[in-house]
Amino acid sequence: MHVRGPALAASFVLLAAACGPAADGGGTGPGGPIEIIVPYAAGGGTDQTARQLAAAAEDTCGVSTVVSNQEGAGGAIGFRTAADAPPDGSTVGVVSVELAMLAHQGVTDVTPDDVSGLLQYNFDPSALTVSSDGPYSSVDEVIGAARDGDGVIVGTSGAGSVWEFAAEGMAAEEGVEMTYAPFEGAAPAITAVLGGQVDAVTVSGAEVLPQVESGELTSLAVMGEERLDILPEAPTLREEGIDWVLGTWRGLALPEGTPQETVDELESCFSEAARSEQFTDFMDTGGFGVEYRGAQEFDTFMAEEFAAFGGDGGGDDG
Amino acid sequence: MSGWLVGLDAVLSPDAILMIVLGVGTGIVVGALPGLTATMAVALLLPVTFTLDPLPGMMLLVGVYGGTLYAGSIPAILLRAPGTPSAAATVIDGYPMTRQGKAGQALSISLVASVVGGLTGTVLLALFAPQLAGVALTFGPPEYFMVSVLALAVIASISAGKLSKGLVSGFLGVAIGLVGMDPIEGFPRFTFGTTELSAGIPFIAVLIGLFGVSEALTQIAGNRRRRGAERPPVGSFSLGRGWLRRLGPATGGSSLMGFLIGLLPGTGGDVASYFAYNETRRWSRKGSFGKGEPAGVASAESANSASTSGSMAPTLVLGIPGDSVTAILIGAITVHGLQPGPQLFEGAPDLVYGTMIGLVLMNLAMLPIGLLGIRLWPRLTAAPTTVLWPTVVLLSLVGAFALRLNLVDVAIALAAGALGFVLTRGGYPLAPMVIGLILGPMAESNLRLSLIISGGSLDWLARPIPIAVMAVIVAAIVLTKLSTRRAMATPAGTAAEETPKDRD
Repeated sequence: MHVRGPALAASFVLLAAACGPAADGGGTGPGGPIEIIVPYAAGGGTDQTARQLAAAAEDTCGVSTVVSNQEGAGGAIGFRTAADAPPDGSTVGVVSVELAMLAHQGVTDVTPDDVSGLLQYNFDPSALTVSSDGPYSSVDEVIGAARDGDGVIVGTSGAGSVWEFAAEGMAAEEGVEMTYAPFEGAAPAITAVLGGQVDAVTVSGAEVLPQVESGELTSLAVMGEERLDILPEAPTLREEGIDWVLGTWRGLALPEGTPQETVDELESCFSEAARSEQFTDFMDTGGFGVEYRGAQEFDTFMAEEFAAFGGDGGGDDG
Repeated sequence: MSGWLVGLDAVLSPDAILMIVLGVGTGIVVGALPGLTATMAVALLLPVTFTLDPLPGMMLLVGVYGGTLYAGSIPAILLRAPGTPSAAATVIDGYPMTRQGKAGQALSISLVASVVGGLTGTVLLALFAPQLAGVALTFGPPEYFMVSVLALAVIASISAGKLSKGLVSGFLGVAIGLVGMDPIEGFPRFTFGTTELSAGIPFIAVLIGLFGVSEALTQIAGNRRRRGAERPPVGSFSLGRGWLRRLGPATGGSSLMGFLIGLLPGTGGDVASYFAYNETRRWSRKGSFGKGEPAGVASAESANSASTSGSMAPTLVLGIPGDSVTAILIGAITVHGLQPGPQLFEGAPDLVYGTMIGLVLMNLAMLPIGLLGIRLWPRLTAAPTTVLWPTVVLLSLVGAFALRLNLVDVAIALAAGALGFVLTRGGYPLAPMVIGLILGPMAESNLRLSLIISGGSLDWLARPIPIAVMAVIVAAIVLTKLSTRRAMATPAGTAAEETPKDRD
């Protein structure tokens, strides 16, 4: 009786830990279960998209999938775990733009070379967004103010984050100086531009969508190849005459050295999942941009991104 | 007004009610286990809500959120191991009450205070949400910096009487908070070249070690010396005579403070409970705070519950998450194709008003569900000490591991446990360390952001809110100094009476 309480509690810990994957359902197929490693905390954008994709892949791949969150060091812990897993297709890692950035920042030595791309399912460009009541109503005005030395302050989602890189690259492209204020995440940066603490933010279009829709903020430009469906009014930076494309992306990767036939097999069933109505509907309603690249193409893309982030503030290949 | 009727209609469906009850029940179990946080529980349940309608899904998640915040106090009171960071301030008076044989009373106070705090916060949310969310926008880095300095000044009054030891503990907390990526330059600090430490030392792992593990070590060490020591009785579950007069002002005031702090994006129940605890202590003339004062428990618990409602205001009104849990709630809303923000009030009144009414129901549901469990909890701790304390260590370490499935966190919890054990032996209070750990990084990054934005000048100190906060800080320090002197002048008081029991 005395021992039962703690024992009960302990079993609940296990139950709670098992709850995430269990909630995705569990069918058993011909192969063993596939573990999907998410390098960020449960509940974030990467985790949400990965869990949806994992659920869709259970049908298309015919095996059960188990999502495990291995967060820490800006994603490096999870990237490392996925890269070091046995290259037999039993472990799939979720990778993001940070994989191309972290090694350059001295955080880790894991790079896109350590993994083999499986597919890319998302791209969200940075959006240069200002307060609707503020002094700026076009990209030119922002750049002009910076050129005149008016001290344009851009809020970003953190030091060394992709959104800080987006702002720096835009300014470097035009040869102007801006001040970058690194907040802890996108939400406080958006609060700061709403409250007039900073002049602009460069977080993703989806992140500022609610405030843009309510009219409090205006996106002056998006840093994608094309305009965003969710922000049709905002031109691309290229339309504004600035050759700069930058955004965050997410995809799946296998450990380097996985046999080609395993890669092919997983690519076909995961890409079917990524194109399923269930998944694309989720991406649309969640405001995540859908961009698809296959295994080969994604591998090349990651290598280009890695090289671009290693340049001196360069990198314009989105 | 019609919005309220639509909301009421939506929330009074069997689905929604069932989800509230389920959520609160799950939250209470999760919250009672150290290491399992509200954020984690809500994140794990999020995929479940995708298949539900928006409102029942929301009810499940806010039920878990509320239940977790309340239940974090249960192990804080019984075992000195706060189940969630928000319950760290509850330890200060809750655990001494257990040692004095008043565990039952402390548990009842915590439940009632949580419910009252949650209800007060929800009423404030319903009445003033749009106006108050606007106030949160006037808070920029300078304002956040001054508020975090004010909260750091709490260290002074919490460690009244042993200021130097309190400061040592506080600085240790700030120092631990320095480890990891520099918030402005993005350069790894004090990580000794390891990847594991580059995201910093995880706060919850430290908390688990500092309280749960260190108390277990203390008990095990004490047990070896004096076998068969009497365990204090659980005592009555009644709130005690004249409870309304004794606890009412502290609960009401702390609910208000908790709500206001919850409003600020980025500050949640952990900051709110310390802040409110300290203000209550300052306004009260009693010297019994920190030695098992019931009003201390009431204050910390009502504040962290009220902060839940506070953090819902920027979420619902601005679409900006008030804390990590509400960030996930936003995800739960957007997945149904709805955008949080001002337009949600017109676009989905059933969800917005339903959520607010649901928060009231959630708090009302917490009372009976909490009462069901309340007599059960002390039984768990009635296990023989040779079983109980090793189990606490085990559960704490499992909790630390469950955070990120990372063994490094287990090592950190163990190291923090050893540190807590040594510090407690040496008479250093642990609360200042937790405060330093929470607020040190907040003060640092906001000071540096203020300087970046102002181009290096200190003009921002002259803005109205920073000036007002600075005046409060000066007043607080002067008042603490005076009350310390007064306490020293009259050594025989309530404080002296409680000391022998406290040493047990």
